[in-house]
Amino acid sequence: MKKTIKLIIRHIVLALLALFWLIPIIWLVVTSFSAHKGLATNNFFPKQWSFDNYVQLLTRPDTVCNFPAWFKNSMIIGVACCIISTIFVLMVAYAMSCMRFKARKPLMSFMIILGMFPGVLSMIAVYFVLREMGLTDSLLGLIMIYSAGSGMGYLICKGFFDTIPISLRESAKLEGASEFTIFTRIVIPLSKPIIVYTVINSFLAPWMDFVMARLMIKSKNPADWTVAIGLFNMLQKTLISEYFSVFCAGGVVVAIPISILFVIMQKFYVEGITGGAVKG
Amino acid sequence: MKKKVLSLMLVAAMTATLFAGCGNKDEGTTNNTPDTQAPAAEDSQAGGDTAEDPIANLIAATEGTVALDLWCSETPAYQEVMAQIVENFKQTYSEVDFDITIGAQSEAECKDRVLEDVTAAADVYVFADDQVTELVNAGALQPVEATYTYNPSETNSAGAVDAASVDGKLYAYPLTASNGYFLFYDSTVFSEEDVQSWDALLAKANEAGVQVGMEMSGAWYLYGMFSGAGCTLSMNEDQSNSCDWNNETGVAVAEACAKIAADPAFINITDTDFSAKLAEGDCNIKAYVDGTWRSGDIQAAYGDGYAATKLPTFTVNGAQVQQGSYAGYKLVGVNAYSENVGWSMLLAEFISNEASQLAIFEATGEGPANTVAGSSEEVMASPAIAALVAQSPYADPQRVGGKYWDPAATLGKNLAEGTVTDYQAALDEAVAGITAPAE
Repeated sequence: MKKTIKLIIRHIVLALLALFWLIPIIWLVVTSFSAHKGLATNNFFPKQWSFDNYVQLLTRPDTVCNFPAWFKNSMIIGVACCIISTIFVLMVAYAMSCMRFKARKPLMSFMIILGMFPGVLSMIAVYFVLREMGLTDSLLGLIMIYSAGSGMGYLICKGFFDTIPISLRESAKLEGASEFTIFTRIVIPLSKPIIVYTVINSFLAPWMDFVMARLMIKSKNPADWTVAIGLFNMLQKTLISEYFSVFCAGGVVVAIPISILFVIMQKFYVEGITGGAVKG
Repeated sequence: MKKKVLSLMLVAAMTATLFAGCGNKDEGTTNNTPDTQAPAAEDSQAGGDTAEDPIANLIAATEGTVALDLWCSETPAYQEVMAQIVENFKQTYSEVDFDITIGAQSEAECKDRVLEDVTAAADVYVFADDQVTELVNAGALQPVEATYTYNPSETNSAGAVDAASVDGKLYAYPLTASNGYFLFYDSTVFSEEDVQSWDALLAKANEAGVQVGMEMSGAWYLYGMFSGAGCTLSMNEDQSNSCDWNNETGVAVAEACAKIAADPAFINITDTDFSAKLAEGDCNIKAYVDGTWRSGDIQAAYGDGYAATKLPTFTVNGAQVQQGSYAGYKLVGVNAYSENVGWSMLLAEFISNEASQLAIFEATGEGPANTVAGSSEEVMASPAIAALVAQSPYADPQRVGGKYWDPAATLGKNLAEGTVTDYQAALDEAVAGITAPAE
């Protein structure tokens, strides 16, 4: 009896916590289906439901809301960074984990210390350097910023590579494999879960980033913006009364690529982890 | 060893390109500026006698496509009308290829975005007149010394020209003259006598069971209460403020504000929340202090009862005092760092000419700064513009340092919520904040 009561209390607490955590998201989703375009603070659920916000978002770009262009820009940045950063991270991790060279330890500590400085410190310097190179207002400049330092996030990946038995690599070497062959044929196929983790991470950061994009993209032409800047712009005092529901719809649509990526990758993720566990 | 040499060379090469890059850039700008500025300066002398010549010179001196950036308000109505005006501009000067990009940037924050990096800002931008001093101090505005088609200091109202000038020198082209506030009301509820004073307004509202609104917690609106009663607030040369709101009159004004706010029919509500209520269709606020930008929404909501007038009077020390206000202008400025100063100035001139100002009025309801456009029949027929004109004797230009806004908003919020017990202390605190040295 006592047990049941405890169980009930526990579940009520958890349910409440979940509710608090979910309320903003539920609100975002239901507001995105509101027929009223502005911010309705009087009621939680919209009085009239409509699918028009999504239609407007995707098919009727105007001077305020040019979502297709933003989506395209963000997608280009996200995919490019995802590919470049993943390659960087894997290569750095491989070098740090599997190869032995003189400056390995100092280099590793140096990178960790460097990683402790918040990236925002260098923002202004980065801006002026890229301006001299004429790369502000361009997707290329943003891709460079997001992916250039990504190799420093090698630590988790290196930890994973360390668990791959050395004997595997040694036997490959005896067979005459080069470091590149070992990397691509032996280590990578064994590291699916960590690759999935890296891919998701390196896509998410540029996809959702606001600060850097805002700094680098000085153009006020809506077609040049990324999703984050564009959505933020819709919340301006003069626009919010016409575009808040559209903004919410944008917020929901932004989550779609991430969800798709996660659903596809999750299969491998779980597979990889359990597979690794059995092998020991 | 070999590797070391290689890496050293690489580093050297990188540093070299870095310096080379900077050097080129500098050369580029120094080369560019005289080229583009020279014709504009020459034009000033020639411009007096022959109006067409400078433009012909400009066209002759132009090679290839002229790329210009234009920043104006982010609202769809503004963007559309600007696109139309830019299209007219291209047609007027069809000899030249233009690549004009219209950006969306709210005028209220234009200064901040421009000063982030002046060289990356637009060639031509629209901004609110209170930013003119700081923009000039930062060297971000090209002075209007030479004009091509007309003289903006003559065609626009004196107040607008004054607002666009610093130390008697014109720095921007006046565009609209309606960044002020006044009273909108529903004439099916209130009569013309009712809207003359806050006392009558609130009494009638209580009787009719409706509400009267104003954003008392907004520093911009609160200013009118104090300025109306004769308190002063002004900006010093170093961008700090002088303020005497904590004198006896000020205390009486604060008490009057609190009294208005305490009335059950009064609601302290921001412009954004008010418009949200209007859009929802069940708005019980039948009179509201606001500006021309909201006139469309209010007209739609009040229907036939839509009316506007100057701000009401209120009671200070037993006497009726006319509530004051701010009068603001929107100005078109040309970036001093623009690579194409000549064309930028001509574009700015075109955007702010009489026809364009009328087009903007029709699209957005904002009153023109041009005196001819301002006295046209269409403009005079607009109740909002008429109210603005009626309010204008009691309105002051907005010249105030950045330290004003937060302390004044706090004061307004406390007055609106009725949490103030010691008015003198509250005002002393606010004035101390407002007059704090500028950063």
